[in-house]
Amino acid sequence: MLDWGRVHFFWAEVGQNFTRNIAMTLTAIGTIAISVVLLGVFLFLRSSFDAVMQNLVGQVAIAVYLRDDVKPAAISAMVQSLKADQRVDSVRFINKKSAMANLRKRLRGQMNLNVINTNPLPNTIIVHTKLPADVPLLAQELQHRPGVDVVNYGSGVTEKLLRTEAVFSAVGVGVIALLLIATSLIMFNTIRLTVFARQREIRIMQLVGATGWAVRWPFVFEGMLSGLVGATVGLLALSSGYRSLVPKLAINVPFIPFSVSAIPLHHLALELLAVGVLVGMLSSLLSVGRYLQTA
Amino acid sequence: MIVFRDVSLVYPNGVHALTDIVLSVARGEFLFLVGSSGQGKSSLLRCINREVRPTEGEVTVEGQSLAHLRNGDIPFLRRKVGVVFQDFKLLHQKTVWENVAYALQVTGASSRDVLRRVPRQLELVGIAHKSKMFPHELSGGEQQRTAIARSLVNNPLILLCDEPTGNLDPETSSEIMALLARINAKGTTMIVATHNQAIVDRMRRRVVRLVNGRITRDEERGRYHVGLG
Repeated sequence: MLDWGRVHFFWAEVGQNFTRNIAMTLTAIGTIAISVVLLGVFLFLRSSFDAVMQNLVGQVAIAVYLRDDVKPAAISAMVQSLKADQRVDSVRFINKKSAMANLRKRLRGQMNLNVINTNPLPNTIIVHTKLPADVPLLAQELQHRPGVDVVNYGSGVTEKLLRTEAVFSAVGVGVIALLLIATSLIMFNTIRLTVFARQREIRIMQLVGATGWAVRWPFVFEGMLSGLVGATVGLLALSSGYRSLVPKLAINVPFIPFSVSAIPLHHLALELLAVGVLVGMLSSLLSVGRYLQTA
Repeated sequence: MIVFRDVSLVYPNGVHALTDIVLSVARGEFLFLVGSSGQGKSSLLRCINREVRPTEGEVTVEGQSLAHLRNGDIPFLRRKVGVVFQDFKLLHQKTVWENVAYALQVTGASSRDVLRRVPRQLELVGIAHKSKMFPHELSGGEQQRTAIARSLVNNPLILLCDEPTGNLDPETSSEIMALLARINAKGTTMIVATHNQAIVDRMRRRVVRLVNGRITRDEERGRYHVGLG
């Protein structure tokens, strides 16, 4: 049967220790909050940058220009085979008549269209891939299909764009990893100080016969609590900063999609909370472990 | 029963704390460890509750060798071996009652046990009327009584006292020693490290003298200094 007296003792210990050394607790919470804000700002910037890159890369398409002698049946077969390709997201056929109509529409009022007596525009298939990285290879394959005159996918520019995206993505992951390590170390050291301040208590617990885990648990829960409160404070700061700054940024830097909907904010919040709680818990566990080493 | 077989202890900093200690303490015995500071009295006590592990030799407590005791088993040894210190080692933010209950609570005792055993120990050491006070509101003697109650609440077989009267005036020291004698009379083995010559001479119990980590004298019904009176 559950002994409520023992449950009460445990939580009373956690609560008492949490509030007793208030300056130390607030230092730990403050450090965690600042770490979470730093991490959050960087994650947000990275998400925004990713959105810009995805937007740019997503616009990359392959234009397949066909020779005029290709029969409609062959064109239809080519469109079907592209639709069946696993790498392809969408296929759109533009016949030379509608291409000309589009051109006339675009150039109306800008030049005298009566001078164009013939239609030099070819039948065209526009292909979007699921992954931008597949564009160069697919384009090369299409170049060798019968009836294909020219394939254009912004050769050179697309590769550069893809390389830039890959580099920034890797750098982003690296910076996040470093930031995570740095903030974890700061949090760890702060919590270690709070444990250090209670060495005497740990020794007394050991001398009266408390098992290692009986000593550890209250510290572990305090660490988790510090992590949770710190991360929540950090998230509240982030959230209010986000609400007040992002609308201004969206007006002043319109080409970057700074918007609530562009970034899964609830994921970000959950991740930051998890980091706070986990680092708080591990820091306490490791710090207490040092003082528990017996002969 | 506590047995030391050729025990030596060298600390990691190279200090030889104990050398070739051979000692047996029978169950229920009262023993004074005497000697000036730094002679190894505290180190000898620390071997018994496995705060330190001898570098040579073997210590057994109630038939159990401490040489190969796993870290996980040390807390259970310590429940059999209570410790009382010169500086009391009380938790300042807890009341007298809470300090004593704490020793039970961290060892996983049920709340019914806590409610049953704490008042009994407070009565035994004569501090029940101050159970709601905090350590800083108590005299030195009262703080030491609280520490003794805490060390007894798990019903240890052995009580190790490291200079228990070191911070107390002569009258209070006598009271504390009388209390320890009463506890010993109920069957708890008592090892008291002390400088207090007057008390050792008055009580005339077994006296073991340590000099430079070696036992130089082991005398039944002894005095602090040999050849006096």
